[in-house]
Amino acid sequence: MLPFRITRTTFSLLLIGAILLAACAGAPAANAPASAANTPAAEQAAAASGNPISIGVAVAQTSNVALLGQEEVIGAKLAEKFFNDKGGVNGTPIKLNLQDTAGDEAGAINAFQNLINADVVGIVGPTLSQQAFAADPFAEKAGVPVMAPSNTAKGIPQIGKYISRVSAPIARVAPNAVAAALKINPDIKNVAVAFAQNDAFSKSETATFQATITGTTGLNLVTVQTFQTTDTDFTTQATNILNAKPELVIISGLATDGGNLIKQLRDLGYTGLIIGGNGVNTPNVFPVCQKQCEGVLIAQAYSPELDTEINKQFVAAYTADQKKTPGQLTAQAFSGVQVLVEALQAADKKSPIKDMKLADLRTALNDQLLSGMKFQTPLGEISFDPEGEINQSQFYVAQLKMDADGKTGQFVYLK
Amino acid sequence: MNTTLLTQQILNGLAVGSVYALFALGYTLVFSILRVINFSHGALFTLGAYFTYTLTGSAFGFNGLLANAALPFGLPFPLAVLLGCLLAGLAGIVVERIAFKPLRDKGADPLLSLVSSLGMAVLIVNLIQYMVGAENYSFSSAVLGNLPPAMQFGFGGRAIPIRTVQVIIFAVSMLIVVALTYLINYTKLGKALRAVSEDATTASLLGINTDRLILFTFFLSGFLGGLAGVLIGLSVSIAGPYFGIAFGLKGLAVIVLGGMGSIPGAVVGGLAIGLSEAFVPAQYVAYKEAVAFLFLFIILLIRPQGLLGRIQTQKV
Repeated sequence: MLPFRITRTTFSLLLIGAILLAACAGAPAANAPASAANTPAAEQAAAASGNPISIGVAVAQTSNVALLGQEEVIGAKLAEKFFNDKGGVNGTPIKLNLQDTAGDEAGAINAFQNLINADVVGIVGPTLSQQAFAADPFAEKAGVPVMAPSNTAKGIPQIGKYISRVSAPIARVAPNAVAAALKINPDIKNVAVAFAQNDAFSKSETATFQATITGTTGLNLVTVQTFQTTDTDFTTQATNILNAKPELVIISGLATDGGNLIKQLRDLGYTGLIIGGNGVNTPNVFPVCQKQCEGVLIAQAYSPELDTEINKQFVAAYTADQKKTPGQLTAQAFSGVQVLVEALQAADKKSPIKDMKLADLRTALNDQLLSGMKFQTPLGEISFDPEGEINQSQFYVAQLKMDADGKTGQFVYLK
Repeated sequence: MNTTLLTQQILNGLAVGSVYALFALGYTLVFSILRVINFSHGALFTLGAYFTYTLTGSAFGFNGLLANAALPFGLPFPLAVLLGCLLAGLAGIVVERIAFKPLRDKGADPLLSLVSSLGMAVLIVNLIQYMVGAENYSFSSAVLGNLPPAMQFGFGGRAIPIRTVQVIIFAVSMLIVVALTYLINYTKLGKALRAVSEDATTASLLGINTDRLILFTFFLSGFLGGLAGVLIGLSVSIAGPYFGIAFGLKGLAVIVLGGMGSIPGAVVGGLAIGLSEAFVPAQYVAYKEAVAFLFLFIILLIRPQGLLGRIQTQKV
């Protein structure tokens, strides 16, 4: 053992270091340049017919939320290529302006302001509801339409008249999973709930789940456990849940923390059903809980098995690129770009958009989105109410089915 | 509180605490010799896990420069761990050469190497993300062979399960602390290290190659950091390039609590913070870190030198 005396200088150095480190962990790579958005096809189209129409995409490409944001980037890029191949907006190609929001509110605000000051007609983003509550008001004030690809918390379209979403609110989606669990095991009496309390979306989702449980006769809410999305060890929560002896556990968190909680619950011997929230609704959860992911139920706003022309084309394009089937986030990001493109097409037919000033074009686009126009997207037929809330006709429940090696798996859609 | 619950919480606390201890051991090693904090320790920890993951022949995901790439061969897990940690150790040497040596040679203020090592951490973490993306990677659950996912520590008919991988982490951190204590207190190398830590100039006048000893310290620290990364990655998956950074702050708290530069102090500090977290009531469990840091604050008010640190009189 080596003796050492903590001097005041050393301690203040440590403190400064700790603060720097915390700042780094909080906003990683905030200055990382947004990756180039253009596909070669888009560049060619742009060269052929003048200025392309710029659409902003502000999602998390870095930080622990990048897991979700990367899926959205893929969806948006697929949509860019798909609609440019079809002629863009009545002959004018579109071009994505990708900005990294990282995982926090500051990053989202920064990305939004970059896009507002650029020449984008609308913004698809941000990734988290938590970020939307912070960044959307800036777009609202500037009169830039925002199409949220994955914000499902309560109150998102109510932020302002320029804010809409393609992501159905959890209040509509979540209860389907509880019904599916009761169908699999009608003897469920005791339900435990765990949620990430530092995430606006998870808090909003758990409120819906908890209301569903207390509102269903015969179900008791036996324990509510909280954690943080940055946690990795869930021993305490898992043992508290096991001690409450539930037959169903409902987890609202993101992929890494949610997956780890599932894994640690199973390791410690929990054998009942598990429902995962929207945050674990991604194949990225597979490498976290591996074989222990088996059987987890997740309510879905998207199914790759939906039998429509546009969905089949979307799934084929995604599979050719990524060698797996697309998840909900990718489909929602694709649909987010799609509704902007199709609304621009419709607006252009009413009055040519190339003659409009940017501010007028942004307003015309928003008015068109909220006009009740129907869109045939990979999510099925959708439209928006005058507040910007999505009207979506179909929802699904999937159960995770892991492959023998435990590294990959599938979302098996329940009938 | 009944005894089963109490035992369970103590065991949970020890399991979590040994993770902190394992991380802090490499941290405290550099501090004990150089009396500077190597903030890139978290990045070396992450590197060890990624190196080992690569060496097992596992493929990377769809993002980054090395998308879908994998080595054409896969080493058995123990061999991959050994090589992966050696590589992390070498990365530790690189960190020393870039972030510490040039400043030390110029007699710079310790604050500068703190910042330069932080810079190295950011660089390494971003390089990892650039190369292999931000997604999660996990070691195959098959690496633990036929071990059960949890071991039972219950008595009197009540089950108290503890995850096997946490039992392993506990055992490994205990082994490392014994080995390090032996190395530093009972070997010639340890004597030389202590001499360098006492006074580097005098040590070099006495014929000790301080430069090589410092390199060795960084290598060992990187090796231990890498090992901690692998074991924690095994327990909770490699949660992206930032996952080691998150342990950095906790690791710092552990060595301050245990006593700066004290090897057993790192373990005692780790276990103490783990235990204090385990006893946070269920409804406040998401605030366990705040509770742990409050505990740290109170201890430091009573014992500013940390639990096992010794006050040294200032020599003039």
